[in-house]
Amino acid sequence: MTGYVVRRVLWGALLLILVSALTFVLFRILPTADPARLRAGHNTSPKVIAEIRAGLGLNKPLLTQFWLYMKGLFLHGDLGYSYYSGASVKSLIFDRLPATLSLTVGSAVIWMAIGLPIGIVSALRRRSRTDRTAMGAALLFISAPEYWLGLIVLYLFAADIGQIKVFPGAGSYAGMTADPQKWVTSLILPWLVLAAGFAAVYARLMRGSLIETMGADYIRTARAKGLPERQVVLRHGVRAAITPILTIFALDVGVLLGGAVLIETVFDIPGIGRLNYDAITHADFPIIQGTVLLAALFIIVANIAVDIAYAYLDPRVRYS
Amino acid sequence: MLKSIHRSASLALVGGALLLCVSLALGLSACGSSSGAAPGSSGIKAPPGVQTPVAESQTGGVRGGTLTVLNHQDFEHLDPGQAYSSVDYEAMYATQRPLYSYKPNTFATPTPDLASGPPEISSDRKTVTVHIRSGVRFSPPVNREVTSADVAYAIERGANESVANPYFASYFGSLEGASKATGGAIPGIATPDSHTIVFHLVEPKAQILASALVLPLSAPVPAEYARKYDAHKPTEYGNYLVATGPYMFKSNGAGRVLGIGYEPGKSATLVRNPSWSAATDYRPAYLNQIDIQIGGDPNVIGRQVLEGSHTVQNDTPAQAIVQLAYEQHRSQLEISPGAGTNYIAVNNHRGPFANVNVRRAFWAALDRVAMNKARGGELVTNVMTHFIYPEIPGFEQAGGLKGPQVDYNAYPSGNAQIAAKYMRLAGYSGGRYTGGATLQVVGATGSPEAEDAEIVNQTLRNLGFKTKFSLVDKSVMYSKFCGTPAEEIDVCPNVGWAADFGDPQGVLDVTFNGKHIEPTGNNNWGQVNDPTINRKMEAAEPLVGTQARAAAWAAIDRELVTQAAAIPFAFDKEPNIEAHDVAGVGDVWNIGSWDYGFTSLK
Repeated sequence: MTGYVVRRVLWGALLLILVSALTFVLFRILPTADPARLRAGHNTSPKVIAEIRAGLGLNKPLLTQFWLYMKGLFLHGDLGYSYYSGASVKSLIFDRLPATLSLTVGSAVIWMAIGLPIGIVSALRRRSRTDRTAMGAALLFISAPEYWLGLIVLYLFAADIGQIKVFPGAGSYAGMTADPQKWVTSLILPWLVLAAGFAAVYARLMRGSLIETMGADYIRTARAKGLPERQVVLRHGVRAAITPILTIFALDVGVLLGGAVLIETVFDIPGIGRLNYDAITHADFPIIQGTVLLAALFIIVANIAVDIAYAYLDPRVRYS
Repeated sequence: MLKSIHRSASLALVGGALLLCVSLALGLSACGSSSGAAPGSSGIKAPPGVQTPVAESQTGGVRGGTLTVLNHQDFEHLDPGQAYSSVDYEAMYATQRPLYSYKPNTFATPTPDLASGPPEISSDRKTVTVHIRSGVRFSPPVNREVTSADVAYAIERGANESVANPYFASYFGSLEGASKATGGAIPGIATPDSHTIVFHLVEPKAQILASALVLPLSAPVPAEYARKYDAHKPTEYGNYLVATGPYMFKSNGAGRVLGIGYEPGKSATLVRNPSWSAATDYRPAYLNQIDIQIGGDPNVIGRQVLEGSHTVQNDTPAQAIVQLAYEQHRSQLEISPGAGTNYIAVNNHRGPFANVNVRRAFWAALDRVAMNKARGGELVTNVMTHFIYPEIPGFEQAGGLKGPQVDYNAYPSGNAQIAAKYMRLAGYSGGRYTGGATLQVVGATGSPEAEDAEIVNQTLRNLGFKTKFSLVDKSVMYSKFCGTPAEEIDVCPNVGWAADFGDPQGVLDVTFNGKHIEPTGNNNWGQVNDPTINRKMEAAEPLVGTQARAAAWAAIDRELVTQAAAIPFAFDKEPNIEAHDVAGVGDVWNIGSWDYGFTSLK
């Protein structure tokens, strides 16, 4: 097991280097905005643009730039400085990370808590009215774009612009340590909106997976042994059915930790997604690279964590 | 400026605005007149019940309170040596005092700000002398009186590659020694005493330099404090700003703003500058504090403003919000005329549009009304009929809103018969294009640009052209395609311009003068290089006096229409919104943005 984990971590590190290289190349070679020109404004002389380019170190050969970046990253943990604000990318990311973590973890808990039980009930009561209603509702939430849903709940329930003034609205986010109560209340709407679509997807996934599992031979055997149905479902059925869902869960959480741009924008939550979006519009390469690297890191870590969890959840999985 | 890139940020070689004061030998009060319509005023009225910055009262506000600003756009630069966008300027002119600035209701007449009077221009137009006020002090931690040496350093650092001011070369490039300047002392800037600064030029371009003194680069910077930050590449002075205006970014004892008074992408806080003296300033500065929240969705923050309290939005509201404000909160809506132009650049240099009659045919065929509807209709646009836009002197002489009376300009919704007539004059007997060329049309993604580009593309197809149509990010459109003549793009449907100064040269020169065609970063997108137009521009450039300049540049505008050098479609009017209990005062010179130095709470 330890050897397996070490191997996965090493592969993960290699993957991070490849992602860094790919991001670096993509944003410099493909047709995108010139950061020196964007920073300079328009009708600026080529001399000024050259000066800015030199100031940002963009006049150096690409390989030299890449080497300097990688050296700074892996030897000193230095992600560079924003072309615009001059702020350290690392400090910008650490500043934004708590908001994104809060948003992702809270909504993940909600969507798992709602989606999985609904999926289990639907699977166990196939073709019943409950099943049809639940799956119909799931389809509705899957189809509703989260941006639109976010606007709707704000117009309905936000304390400032809502028709029924219940929850704090956009721009009310406060840090967990600064004001715990406000932190919770300001995130209720974003959590629910972000979780809605995911809960619907996970309910459908869980239903499908559990239906398949419940038809397996070992389930029949468990029943033949006289185990209570509850035990058959939870210990043998759900435990096996949940493993493929965990894989997707890890990916989804990893992606969201890299930033939920739409939700962060609609609810004005200063998270990683908005940082990344703003950086892309300004061709602020150091921030783009930093946030992409962070997203990749989260996905890799989440996948390793899930692979390890498999061994505990599914008796058929063993690592050597 | 390219208004569509920044909400407003412009640059053009302009020589008339400040010159008005000097050439007419008027004193301070005349230059600083604060009432009545601005000299460049177009007279365009806002719809009933809607505010316009041209007429908003600048006096009688209630002192005190905190204004909350909801902006979805972030600042680009806080350093006065780098600031160059409308959102930057909102904070810049509340915290910094350049030598001259505009009062809210005018885009034509600057007022001495740090300067104590109008600039004195020598008869050979090679020397500009400016006297500065006594009693203006830097905010903490510098806390000392501003001297002329601080203005000199502010301008000199513009040439420092760590600052890289975008307009230094254009406006200050004629200073003696400017061509070799790298941030150190410039021989052409002298400070004979602590309250006098003299600019010596190598060529008679004193008017251009005097005009540029309205820009933030002339706001003083204390060398002994800023030099260590300017040594970084790029400079970090923007993170450690000191102020001279009525407000300052909140900072710690060492002057650090980053992370305290400004958190990139999140918020900014302006507080009163304890070193500011009202006796030295024309701004009333009613507010105690301005809290700026950055980010969010324009549809949400627009509603928060309209239904909220003591709140404004100070960047462009969503189109749906403007409509909502107009229908349900009309008194909270301000529409600012003179926010720039939108036109279609057509390749005058090569291809089918090198023929003037093909250009006229395209103009005649285009449904400009439909294009403006995509932008929000009459509330926020007027059909553009020529190139000098409202509030800029020369607008009326060039034809006003109706524009020059030529048949291809007479039908805002397009006229197929007139288009066919000009196609026949161009040699296409059937009234439609029958050549083999495929036009390359490069527009911008996003709304309303994409919709406008689609209308343009369809119009071209109706005229018989085959097109290769593509939409790219706006910055890519300018930098890789429309701003690079070697690409020989036939049609750029989404270009636009606004000037820094209320002077028509700033609107027409860079965009239509052949001498300004650059291999990269070109702003003469249609590669217009007509000898007659170039010659007329050369003659108009040194003219003195608003009327003379307006007349000369209006004649050039009419010539541009005759040549159909580009196809205009929208004069922009910029909407701004405020809460019901805010007495906002907008800046005509900054597309109506709320001016923190004049805005108050009710």
